[in-house]
Amino acid sequence: MEDLVPVFQAALAPANLAWVTFGVALGYLVGALPGLGKGTATAVAIPLTFYLNPLAAIAFLVGISKGSTAGSAVSAILLNTPGEPSSTPTAMAGYPLARAGKAQKALKMGLFASVLGDLFSTIVLIMLAQKLAEYALGIGPVELTAILAFSMVFIAGLSGHSMIKGLIAGLFGILVSCVGLEVETGSPRLTFGIIDVYDGLPLIPVAIGMLAMSEMMIQIGQRHRLSEESDLLAGSGKREDRVVSASEWKNCARPIIRGSLIGTVVGILPGLGASVGSFLSYGAERKASGRGADFERNGALEGVAAAESADNAVVPASFVPLFAIGIPGSVIAAILISAFTIQGITPGPLLFLENRDLILGVYVSMLAASLILLIIGYFGQNIFARIVRISPALVMPVVVFLCCMGAYLQGGGTFGIGVMLLFSVIGFFAKKYDFSFVTFLIGFVIGPSFELSLRQTLGLVTNWSELWSHPVAIVFAVLAVIGVWRLTVLQRRQMEAMANR
Amino acid sequence: MAKSDLISGIVLTIFGLALLAYIIPTQTSEGGDATISPALLPQICAVGITGLAVLLTLKAAGRLRRRLPAGTAVPHSEWWSALAVLIAVSAAASIFKWVSPGLSAVLLVVGLMLYMGERRLWALIGFPAVLVVGAWFLFYRVLGTAIG
Repeated sequence: MEDLVPVFQAALAPANLAWVTFGVALGYLVGALPGLGKGTATAVAIPLTFYLNPLAAIAFLVGISKGSTAGSAVSAILLNTPGEPSSTPTAMAGYPLARAGKAQKALKMGLFASVLGDLFSTIVLIMLAQKLAEYALGIGPVELTAILAFSMVFIAGLSGHSMIKGLIAGLFGILVSCVGLEVETGSPRLTFGIIDVYDGLPLIPVAIGMLAMSEMMIQIGQRHRLSEESDLLAGSGKREDRVVSASEWKNCARPIIRGSLIGTVVGILPGLGASVGSFLSYGAERKASGRGADFERNGALEGVAAAESADNAVVPASFVPLFAIGIPGSVIAAILISAFTIQGITPGPLLFLENRDLILGVYVSMLAASLILLIIGYFGQNIFARIVRISPALVMPVVVFLCCMGAYLQGGGTFGIGVMLLFSVIGFFAKKYDFSFVTFLIGFVIGPSFELSLRQTLGLVTNWSELWSHPVAIVFAVLAVIGVWRLTVLQRRQMEAMANR
Repeated sequence: MAKSDLISGIVLTIFGLALLAYIIPTQTSEGGDATISPALLPQICAVGITGLAVLLTLKAAGRLRRRLPAGTAVPHSEWWSALAVLIAVSAAASIFKWVSPGLSAVLLVVGLMLYMGERRLWALIGFPAVLVVGAWFLFYRVLGTAIG
């Protein structure tokens, strides 16, 4: 217990808490702005972490991801414009409440549910990640290859509408990760004679291009729609329309508990994403309440609570596979890998042995971030409600500027900006034509470890019969094949249902 | 979506074949004494991309033949905005390299604000100024580093 004192001292030091607070506030602000999501918020903030110590850097980014996830409910409830797709159910149940003059009540319940979902998921992360990492330490290269292949299939199948396109995106990500000097021989590979890429393509410009810049290209094209939506709804002025009553708390307790559980499970499984969590939770509450379409017609506090608790529970839970196995299960986790890399730390099972104090410090910071989120969200509600009215013509150029700065700082100068631009074009096409950019990015991040484990596997397993001594690998390989088959069937049915409609 | 899938499939098939026939052989060495060729993983990816792209093309062609909904096209405004951002950032990067970082930042932000329809003078002057001074303060004073 005594060795935890320095951990708490470092995590609760004023400087660290200041960065967490700054992260949560910045995230909440960006999340509240229509059209900007947690991926953009975290990607553009990475340059700030270059000069921070590892704990402050990770805590800052975690603060941003938590803040932006909760903040996206503000624009969803007030403007019917979700900051990101996972807040769509919040808009469906919350916007009618805002129209009825109960915006403040809906915002408060959204915040409380966000904080509770986030807190629950963080506790699960703390309890589960280290245990899982202990098991992961026994995993060899053969098993790791199978697990990575299974994860890619799973993510490809679930993060878009087409398994084929998802797999193409994932393979393209792995292919792009091959650029640079080859590990074993040191010979250049797919470099086209460009010395700048001998160390591989820099992750930050690639991530900023795929996530933030491509999103800006799309959002700037939709500027007229965004401007029209910047119209704040006035409150009724009555106390009962502003405050969440005891009976409303009682009604919302069950959806919050259910939403937190759904969000946590969805977050742990790589690739499902926050949208799946919030829609599942909202759908479950809609069904359980027996009110059906009344949720969207007149609004429902329970719907806001269900969607927000699940949405916010996904983020901390998605760090479980990242911390324990080194597999990023979400965009935020993929970006967090780059922050770890910048600090010279490799996520995975050894993290708990080699950087135990750092991880414990991150846990304490995450819990502190939940509390800070509650304070900032509660007392800053009116300020953020005004901020959503800021014209996109002022916000978008700033985000583009921050993207350029990030790519410049981490990408070796203007070369980084070039890389960012190239991948912003690829990201633009990927988003518009439904090639999962999440799968691409995760393929790019896990590419080097996949290649290493594949090489080791090919060295260890010289004939097929030797595979029988690796039952875990066989299980994951079979699961990958079943995953391709089942997910393809599922997507075909969805397409047919869509065509019939 | 079927039409765009068909075009995507054809483009990706050509890209995959180009990878297999030209790019990987010319851009990857044999590896000498390496236990496994450095070209192995790129080749696996290229084969996978080509095969899946062919499948995508065939499926899209089938959907078009059955006259299933073609999906929505990308609006022109988004194409133009993508092009505008590309031009603005490329121009800013050139100015950054040959003139000065501050000027490139101001021109980038002002250019995009104008493109997005911002015409208020105070915003066009004040906003970029605050941004550049803020960035300078954050990096040069708070974080103790330099840009450019």
